[in-house]
This record gives sequence, structure tokens and C-alpha cells, in this order.
Amino acid sequence: MKGVLDNAALGSARETPMKELVDRAADEVGKVLLGKESQVRLSLCCLLARGHLLIEDLPGMGKTTLSHALASVLGLSYNRIQFTSDLLPADILGVSVFDQASNAFSFHPGPVFSQLLLADEINRTTPRTQSALLEAMGEGQVTVEGETRALPEPFFVIATQNPVHQSGTYPLPESQLDRFLMRLELGYPDPAAERQMFVRDGTAPKPEELIACLSLEQLAAIRAAVDEVHASDNLLDYLQRLVAYTRNSAEFAYGLSPRGALALLQCARTWALMEGRSHVVPEDLQTVLPAVATHRLVPTSDYAGDASALVHELLLNVDVIPG
Amino acid sequence: MKLEEQIPRNALVWIIATQFVLLFPHLGRIPLWVLVLYAATALWRAMVYLGRWSFPGGYLKSSLTVICFSGVWVSYGTLIGLEPTVALLLIAYSLKLIELANQRDAYMLIFIAYFVCLTEFLFSQELLITLYMCVAVMVNTTSLVALHQPGQDRFNFSTIRRAGAMMLQALPLMILLFVVFPRVGPLWNVPLKTHTARSGMSDFMKPGDVASLSLNDSVAFRAQFEGEVPDRSDLYWRGLVLSKLDEGAWRSLRWRDIPGDQRRGEQPELVGEYVDYSIIMEPTQQNWLYALPYATTRDRGILRSNDFRLVSPVQVQDQKRYEVRSWLEVPLDVELGDWRRGVDTSLPEDGNPQTRVLAQQMFEAAGGDPEAFARSVLDMFREQAFFYTLRPPLLGENPVDQFLFGTRRGFCEHYASAFTWLMRAAGVPTRVVAGYQGGEVNPVNGTVIVHQFDAHAWNEVWLEGQGWVRIDPTFAIAPARIEFGLEQALAEEGSFLAETPLSPLRFRGVSWVNNLRLQLDAINYRWQLFVLSYDQERQYQILNRLLCSVGQSQLVFLIVGTWALLLVPLAIAMVWRNRGPRLDAATRHYQEFCRRLRGAGLPRPGHEAPTDFARRVAEERPAWAEEVAAITRCYESLAYAGDGDPAALAELKRRVRAFRV
Repeated sequence: MKGVLDNAALGSARETPMKELVDRAADEVGKVLLGKESQVRLSLCCLLARGHLLIEDLPGMGKTTLSHALASVLGLSYNRIQFTSDLLPADILGVSVFDQASNAFSFHPGPVFSQLLLADEINRTTPRTQSALLEAMGEGQVTVEGETRALPEPFFVIATQNPVHQSGTYPLPESQLDRFLMRLELGYPDPAAERQMFVRDGTAPKPEELIACLSLEQLAAIRAAVDEVHASDNLLDYLQRLVAYTRNSAEFAYGLSPRGALALLQCARTWALMEGRSHVVPEDLQTVLPAVATHRLVPTSDYAGDASALVHELLLNVDVIPG
Repeated sequence: MKLEEQIPRNALVWIIATQFVLLFPHLGRIPLWVLVLYAATALWRAMVYLGRWSFPGGYLKSSLTVICFSGVWVSYGTLIGLEPTVALLLIAYSLKLIELANQRDAYMLIFIAYFVCLTEFLFSQELLITLYMCVAVMVNTTSLVALHQPGQDRFNFSTIRRAGAMMLQALPLMILLFVVFPRVGPLWNVPLKTHTARSGMSDFMKPGDVASLSLNDSVAFRAQFEGEVPDRSDLYWRGLVLSKLDEGAWRSLRWRDIPGDQRRGEQPELVGEYVDYSIIMEPTQQNWLYALPYATTRDRGILRSNDFRLVSPVQVQDQKRYEVRSWLEVPLDVELGDWRRGVDTSLPEDGNPQTRVLAQQMFEAAGGDPEAFARSVLDMFREQAFFYTLRPPLLGENPVDQFLFGTRRGFCEHYASAFTWLMRAAGVPTRVVAGYQGGEVNPVNGTVIVHQFDAHAWNEVWLEGQGWVRIDPTFAIAPARIEFGLEQALAEEGSFLAETPLSPLRFRGVSWVNNLRLQLDAINYRWQLFVLSYDQERQYQILNRLLCSVGQSQLVFLIVGTWALLLVPLAIAMVWRNRGPRLDAATRHYQEFCRRLRGAGLPRPGHEAPTDFARRVAEERPAWAEEVAAITRCYESLAYAGDGDPAALAELKRRVRAFRV
């Protein structure tokens, strides 16, 4: 096991090992979102893996708090858009306004031009406006009035949405869902965490007050290190068995796309790095799989359970080690 | 109910259809109320499907079962025997329908249906029935197919196409199995058919017996001659020799009636012309076989009786095929033994006094010559007012006296019986022979079709120097019976097959009906020849011919070898396709480690990753924690860290070997 815990060996010019950096960031977020360590770590994993994050849950479960806290901890400039049913694409991307002084049109960038975009309640707006984010999320650029403009680097989107069956929502189309690397559900806090919330009410830190734990350079270094994490043949075999199961089993309306499979691998690599390992083990895949795959899989109409039950079944039915 | 346990509606319709298709051929032999039961259960199930009624409760089902069992008992008088048993099966098959709730029930019902298909063959194996049962199997297979097509929410006739394709695919295998599958004897005995019992002749003959057979147009046997078919008036198919008069009925000698030294009978010298032919006989549940005199056969398992007949030691339960060579000119019993003479001249002490007197008078008039005497008796039948009829008046006491001096109307058995009385009263050895006379030659394939209405009785008289000579008194009264058959002989009376107005035989005058009938019969004959009579011996012969001469043991090897050739590559291919991926050395060692832990009651489910497993083992058996963790670390670095270090592999191997649970 030589060198596994010694993450410093992976990159140069870093005094603090990456695992500690990430752990510290997770702890910092944990100060405002109590009892949600695994979701916090997964959301960090998503961002470190260069992915966009979708957080879905009922109102009041801490979606916005989490996204704010993540933005603060990563030390990124961020904008927040509250999605409403009358929001228009221009409200996100920006508009050209005729400037009388210079006698020319000047572009007023919309909130999308930031390092971290918080898209609150994204499914409250119409599909048209939702789709305005497609290009931004997929390619890191936007095209407004025929002109393509690059977005800042890094560019993250953290979107929150209410469960689809709630009234006044427009479900995100599959193509839009696929742009999100992970979808997380927060769930109710456990009683101890909730009690702590009640007790410290009023003295609780605000998400904006959290200290930034990562510099831009450190973030870039971690992202670079993710690509160095080794995924062995055995692990890739396991990944392919998982993907093949989703494509061949009768319960799945359709299987995982190659993009989905790549997303899975990318997240597993990041998770391995966050765990302080230089290689991926099956546990990494298993840990990130529900967050990465659930929103990309649809059960057939015959299947009694929902997508998360399906993913659970997928995990149970695929052998980690052949033979 | 889970979706996968539901029965698709299409399947339900097919299952119900199968029931009626299977019931149909049984209709003639089951009580009519079973049909009503089928309709009722189908209606009930349909109502359950429509949601109007519900499935019957336990009490109702039990009482239905009891009622149906009692019904069978009342209808048949017994629960034992083939028909009652089959009726019970059919009833159970029908009642199961109102229990048909989920897929498991449907499977059971469909598999019972396959078994019900088989039961039909216990009664008939005719070509048409076989074809019909093929359709039935197809319909049943369709319900099986439909059961596996979820979401078919309406009746879909095209499902049968899939079933048909499956049957066609199975056809070559079926033929191959038919040809090469070892023919073993029946593993159990099917109980005797209680109601259709014995058909054809019985071993005794009362006046009226043969006449009643004459109403029956079913086939007794078919004969295929090699070469020319002999003249119709020579086709005297001997079946029984009736020597003994027993309470007014002529009866054949039983085994115990014959003294030990007489049982083998004389072996006549084989001279003169002979004909070769094969016979396919319909089942009679009797022992005797029909053949022209003097019949010899090379078939194993056929014996020759002391009166020159062929007999089978076991009753003919199924269609039987045998090959015969008949020596038409061989004299039988040139020397008559004392015992035989005694048997064939014996008459009861008293009765028919007028006949006895008449015999004495005529014998004396013929100058004591048996041959002249016989001729004068035939002349009497021919010249005096004797009539040949299917509807003779009943005879009371002294029947021969009544017949000869009173009614003078009779069928062949009356004449044969009267002739025997007259001859024996004069001391001439004479006996009644029962069998069939003539037959219909099918121009399509040259087969002689012998029907039940060709049943006949004639006589054999022993003459010095000539042995047993066939004399047919009926020929004297109604020569047309012998030369053209029964229909011609009864043309005036119009009584031929009078009770079966729809028999195709009655329409022999309509040429296309007759043609169709004969064509069908020719096909049926081939069916019997090549399919039904394909037994162990024929199989051996055919395989021998196909594969040049092979011995019995070689044949067994051949059959086993064929299967091995067919199945072993198939098995290998299946194993090859299902083989797991090739495991690297580290994984093999790790799997060995997992096997050992499983032996200790700690199995690793397939989905559990090594580190999780190690953690769980450490929790359950803290004593092993360290070693398990070390092995897992070792394996992880080999399998996932890309650490292909041979030393690490060796260490894993060593640690796994050393690991003791």
C-alpha cells in the first residue's frame, strides 16, 4: 500500500494533502448543514469531478443552504437565479442594450456569467428557459444574439428542484437531466442533528460566513489529480458489467448511455481521490452509483418500484468479482 | 397479484379453447354431462374474468368434486378401468379451470392438457385421430406461448403461428426419436377397455352371432399379398375351429380340453403352391390370428395350434402385423387320430331326433360314402326351399330340427351348424370353422380389406386320403355371398348395413365416394404399416437396412452414440457460452479465500466489494480481522491499484494458503 495515503506525491507545490483539503471543506459545509456528511461529500465530489449538481427534495430540506455553503467553501464568485414561471432565457444569459453614450449596442451579461451559478427551483420555469442552460452547462459557453461568449473557468451549476409531482413544476427533459453529473436527495435529518439545529437556533453560522477552504489553484490541482487516479482492468470490468446489466435487464426502459458510464467512472475516480487513494476500488463505484445513475435510468412500466429501487437492484445483482 | 403472475387474457381464451378441443374426440365414450360440466366451468371462468362472479369457495369445490366422482361411478358403475379413469381425468381437467388464478395454475392446466392428449391414443391411433391430436397439441402449445406473452389483453389468433412454427421445428427431432428411440415394453399396463371390450368373433358361436357381426362395417384386418391376390372364393380366413357343441353353441377346444400328446398337432409336408402376404390386424383382445390355410409364419411370438391355426400367446391389444406364407394345397391331417375323430364326431345324447333320422337315411342313400353324402346334403340345401337371410326367425328347442324341417331361413352359422349335425349324426368327422370370407380388394394399393361383415362360418369334413376338406354350405344356398360378397347376397333383402345408414360402405355405388374411401383406406394402411406397427423388431430391421448389418449391441452403441454426438457438442457449446471470464491469478486466490470464509459461515455475496467484506468479517470475527485485512489489502493492490508486482502476488498466495478458519 505504499504511497496510497500520500496524496502529495500526486501533484506538485502543495503542502496540504488533498484529502485533508477536501475533508476540511466538507467539515466547513457540515457546520451549516447538520447530519448530512455523505451528501456533502458527494456534492463536493460532483464539483471536483467538473460536474453540475442537481439537488432534489421537498422545500425546506436545506437545498439552498447546501448550494450556498458549497459556493462559499470553494471560494467562487457566484450568482443566484430564482427560477419562476415567467423567467425568460435572456434573464439568464444577458441582453444587448443600446448605449446612447457610445451609440452602440453593449452586452449586459446575465447571471450565468459567474463561476458558480445557483439555479434555485429550476423546475419551476418553462422548458424553454430551462433549455437556455443547456449550452452553458454542456460546453462552458453561451451564444447570445449570434455571438458566442465563453463562460468563466471554472463554471459550475448547482440546481435545486422540487419533486416533480409537486404542483407548478415542469419536469426537466432527459437531455437536460443528463447534463447534471449527480442528482442528490437530502432527506430528513436524523433526530440528533435536528435537535442540534433547534438548540443553536439564532447562533447558527450563515452559509455566506463560511471560510473558503480551497483556492482556485488547489481546485485546479485536484481536478488534474482526478485524471491521474488509476482505474484497473478489474474495475473497468465491473463497471462494464454494471452498464451491461442496465442495458440487458428487462426492468430497465433503457440502459445507461456511454456518457452516463463515463460520468460514473469520473465520479468514482474523484471519490477515490477524496478517500485518499490513488486507485479506484469497487466501493467507490458503489458509493457514487446511486447519485450518478438514478436520474439517468427509467424503469419499464411493468417494474413495481421507482428508479432508486432499480439502482439498488442493479447493485445487488452484479458481481463485484467475476467467478 | 404481481404482474408476472397474471394470466394474459389471450392465454385464458386459448386455455379454454384447448379444453374443448381435447374433449371433442372423447365425446363418444364419456357421459354427456361431462360436456355440460365443461360448458359450465368455461362460463364460470369467463364470468370471473368479467368480474361478475368470484372463484368458488372451498366447500363448493369439494362438493363439486364429490358430485363428479359419484357421477362417474353412477355412469360407469365403477371407477376402475380405462374409460372411468379417463373420464375422471377429463373432469379434473375441467374443474381446475375454476381454480385458474395465477400462472402456476395455468402451467399445471397446460401440462395436464398434454397428458390428456395422450389418453386419446389409448383408444385410437388412427391417422385422422393422430392428425387431430397434432392440432390439439398445437392449440395447447399456443396457450403456453400466450402465457409467456404478457400484456396480450385480447384474443389473438396469430399466436398459433408461433406454436405451429415451434411444432414444425420439433418435427425432425420427433421423426428421429420415432426411428431411433429404443422401443421398450410398456412400463405399466393400461387397464382393459371396459366398454368396447372384445370385438369380432368370440370363441363360441350361437345362432345369430355371425349375423350380428354382419351389421358392423369396421375393419377386421387388412392383408397385403406379394403378387396376385388369390381368387375371392379362395379367401377363407380361418380364425377358429369350433369342434365342441356346448349347450346349443359351437365352441372351440380349450387348452385343457386337449390331451397333452395332441397339443402340438401334425406337421404337414409343405408341397405345392403358396402365397406370401402380411396382415395388419385390428385389436381383438383375443388370441387367435386370421390366415388362409395352411399358414406358416417366421414371426417370433406366434404359435401354431393343433388344428393348423396361428395363435398369439398374448391377447391382441394393439394393431398387430404378421407375415404369413400359406400353402394352399397342403392336405391337413391325412391320418386322423382317434382322439380327434372322437371329438369331431361327438354329438349330444339327445335332441334333434328328426335330423338324426334324416342323416341316417341320406348316408345310406349315398352308399355310405362320406363325400357323396356331403354332396347330397349340399344338393338338398340347394334344391329345396332354403333361404339365406340376415333376419332369420328365432329357433327354440331342437333348433336344427326346426331349421331343417320348419323355418329353412338362416344365415351362414345356421347352415354350418346344421351341416355339422347331419355329418356327425352319420359318424363323419366334421367341424365348424369360423373366420372371415372374402374381403374387398382396394385397387389403390392392392390391399385386401376384410370388414367385420365379412365374418363367416363354414365347415371342414375329414375325408379318407384327403384330410380336412373345406365345404361351405352357404355356397350352396347363396353362391353370391362367396363370389361377390355379402352386399350382393342380401341385395334383395336390403338388409346390408341397414343399421348404419351413413356408413361410406353403403355408397359404394357412388364412384367418387367409393374412390375417396379406398384412397383413405390406402393411406390408413400405410400409416399402420409404417407407423403403428413400428415395434422393436421393425426398428431393428430398418436400422439394419439403413446402416448395413449391425448387431444388437452395436445398435445400442449406435443409438447412444448418435445421442452423444448430438448432445455432447451441444452441451460443450452451452458450457462454453456460459463460461465465466478468465480469472487472473490474484482473483483466483481471493476467491479461494472467500470459499474458505464461506466454509466458516461467512459467505461473501456477489455484490459485496472486498473492503466492505473485510470490514464485515472483522466485525463478526474480530480474531481474524488482522489477517483478513492484510489479505484484502494485498488483493486490492493487485486487482485495483495496478500493482502487478509478482512479490505481492506471492504474498497473497502465501497468506491465503496460510489462512485457517
